[in-house]
Amino acid sequence: MIRSLLCFCVAVAACAQQHIPAPRGQKEFAQSCGFCHGEDATGARAPDLVRSPLVNRDTDGDLIAPVIRGGRPDKGMPALPLPDQTIQDIVAFLHMRVKQAEGSARIGGDYPLERLLTGNADAGRAYFNGAGKCSSCHSPTGDLAGIAKKYAPLYLEERMLAPRRAVVTLTVTTPSGQHISGRMVHLDEFSVSLRDSDGWYHSWPRDRVKVSVQDPLQIHREMLTQYTDADIHNLFAYLETLR
Amino acid sequence: MNPNLARCAVLCGSAMAALAQGLNPAALLKPPTDTWPTYNGDYSGRRYSPLQQINASNIRSLTLAWAFQANSQAIKSTPLEVNGILYFTVPEHVWAIDARTGRQVWHYHYKSEGDHIGHRGVAMWGNWLYFETPDAHLLSLDARDGHVRWNIMLADAKLGYFATMAPLVVGNHVIAGVSGDVTDIPGFLESVDPETGKQQWRWYTEPQPGEPGSETWPRHSDAITHGGGMTWMTGTYDPALHLVFWGTGNPNPVLAGDARPGDNLYTCSIVALNPDTGKLAWYFQPSPHDTHDWDAVETPVLFDADFGGKPRKLLAQASRNGFFFVLDRTNGEHLLAAPFIESNWTSGIDARGRPVALKEKEPHADGRLVYPGSDGATNWMAPSFDPALGLFYVVARRVYSIFYYTATGKPEGWAGRDHNLAEESTLRAIDYRTGKIRWNHELGPGESIAGILTTAGNLLFTGDSQGNLLVLDPATGKTVWHVNAGGPMFSSPMTYELDGRQYVVEGVQGVLYAWALPE
Repeated sequence: MIRSLLCFCVAVAACAQQHIPAPRGQKEFAQSCGFCHGEDATGARAPDLVRSPLVNRDTDGDLIAPVIRGGRPDKGMPALPLPDQTIQDIVAFLHMRVKQAEGSARIGGDYPLERLLTGNADAGRAYFNGAGKCSSCHSPTGDLAGIAKKYAPLYLEERMLAPRRAVVTLTVTTPSGQHISGRMVHLDEFSVSLRDSDGWYHSWPRDRVKVSVQDPLQIHREMLTQYTDADIHNLFAYLETLR
Repeated sequence: MNPNLARCAVLCGSAMAALAQGLNPAALLKPPTDTWPTYNGDYSGRRYSPLQQINASNIRSLTLAWAFQANSQAIKSTPLEVNGILYFTVPEHVWAIDARTGRQVWHYHYKSEGDHIGHRGVAMWGNWLYFETPDAHLLSLDARDGHVRWNIMLADAKLGYFATMAPLVVGNHVIAGVSGDVTDIPGFLESVDPETGKQQWRWYTEPQPGEPGSETWPRHSDAITHGGGMTWMTGTYDPALHLVFWGTGNPNPVLAGDARPGDNLYTCSIVALNPDTGKLAWYFQPSPHDTHDWDAVETPVLFDADFGGKPRKLLAQASRNGFFFVLDRTNGEHLLAAPFIESNWTSGIDARGRPVALKEKEPHADGRLVYPGSDGATNWMAPSFDPALGLFYVVARRVYSIFYYTATGKPEGWAGRDHNLAEESTLRAIDYRTGKIRWNHELGPGESIAGILTTAGNLLFTGDSQGNLLVLDPATGKTVWHVNAGGPMFSSPMTYELDGRQYVVEGVQGVLYAWALPE
């Protein structure tokens, strides 16, 4: 798939596995159709209905309802004389399952903690204080106190690996030897600009000045080629204890 | 010349005499100069122009010739230029504009459902344009005024198909691909009659159960009939071998390898097809059993050059998985596989020239750190090959990403996702003989999707990730010209010469800029 920049995800109802009330039509589908098509409609003795062209082309039951009522005797599917309301509920369930498949790339704050917790918190603490050198900048009783309460589990894991907010400071040395420091506004191959402590904006051509960059997150970027997956999961398990 | 092409050249050539403004098919067989008649400029996919009016000695005087404001979403297409008219697109829209002045000739709008992520452009045959739409239709438009001549459905948008690519015209074939993203549908390539739109052949990415290649999918499963493999991009063509070369996309469900054990042919592959029949001649698979969305749809670039001390007909691809491949395009024999960017997902190259994926780097519920991420070490943006220097150029990215597999039952669709942790872009010049990086030019933070053009003027045109258009020395990577264009380039540059003046056209967001020397 070619998505280069953003994933435009379809917002979907959270799925049944996440302990919320069963969606409309699920029970009816499981009772009447589940034995052959699977309780989640992904197929068993009979085809996967989430991938079914007929289901995908259906509008409000115009294609699905006749199949339920009439069956497909040539393929061994019996006619099911269900009440109209039950059929509409089953139709709604199938459309919801299609939406769930379409939204299967959506991962967010409701991602279950237990799936992420495969590491060992003690090993994570040892990494934090040892090989990972996290403790040279961070403290479990200082900046990270209660961090696991602040972020949903998935976001905690991602921010641990790639904190998104940091002030990058530049020091520019002009041809006359003057040093000017401030928050980076822009830096590319050709120009550099910053905002000084008084709030004034300055810019220079890159080839006229020397630029030194202080990026507190640079070490996080470098660590991305150092971590093993076990380091990540252990460290995450440790941060999850900071509540 | 192939007999079909020769016949077509004669037939279409006589039609041309009456109408004068259509595309003479002979132009498709020449390096692009006064005409840029197909997505990549010519059939080779090299995006190397023999024009040299704009060159290393005068580049510092390059100036704006005109700009065209489309007031549209980002232009990702490469314009065609035929007889002084440029034809370019964004999803749902086609423009014809004067290639000398940037003034609009006509604009066509086709309101459509379906994914609008981007659009690469049109194809041309005689007086007719071929345009794919977000609802996966193929339209033939009259190049004079944009009127629709016919409209056929390539695939059903209700099943999740859409279309973004610029078709390829070979002889009397319009070869069109399709796109898809979240749904588990089979990819295919279709050839239609340029006059009528009638289907000539269709080649499915997945073989039918029982055919060669089907053994690379699980038996007693519907996986092979829902296996993805979209034909996102325009292929290339060798008239002497009479083969088209096409890259195919990732298998579906996207991240769910356990649902489809095996190599999953012909997804993430480079395939050689007979353009008259759609029959497969050979294949090579850059990413067997992909679980990271690493389409192999990047341009299969064709050139003839020495390899290992012998002159060979070569095909090179810098693939989304971070590896550069060189093949013998007569038979698909692999000659070289080398990384063009750092990666952590493979244990090496196997005897067939394919990277071997590490099982532990497949997506998992607890998250696995993989680079490159799904956006890829490169992507659809055009690479370029400079035959004078023997260098292959690619916009490469360091993308670090964490992959989550989320399905608990039977996986469908993506079955998870990766989230980016960091991105940087860099342009790399690769020596095709060794795969070694000759030079590297950093393009800044973020994921650049700018393409590349090289010219006989010893120039390389591209953009960085910060809104600068760049011209580099193709031998060294040093910047020789730049301008802040007000936004990043999401397209690939092209060039042509009219009335003795060379123009370079670059799309930046919704604006086309034409650069030239002062008059």
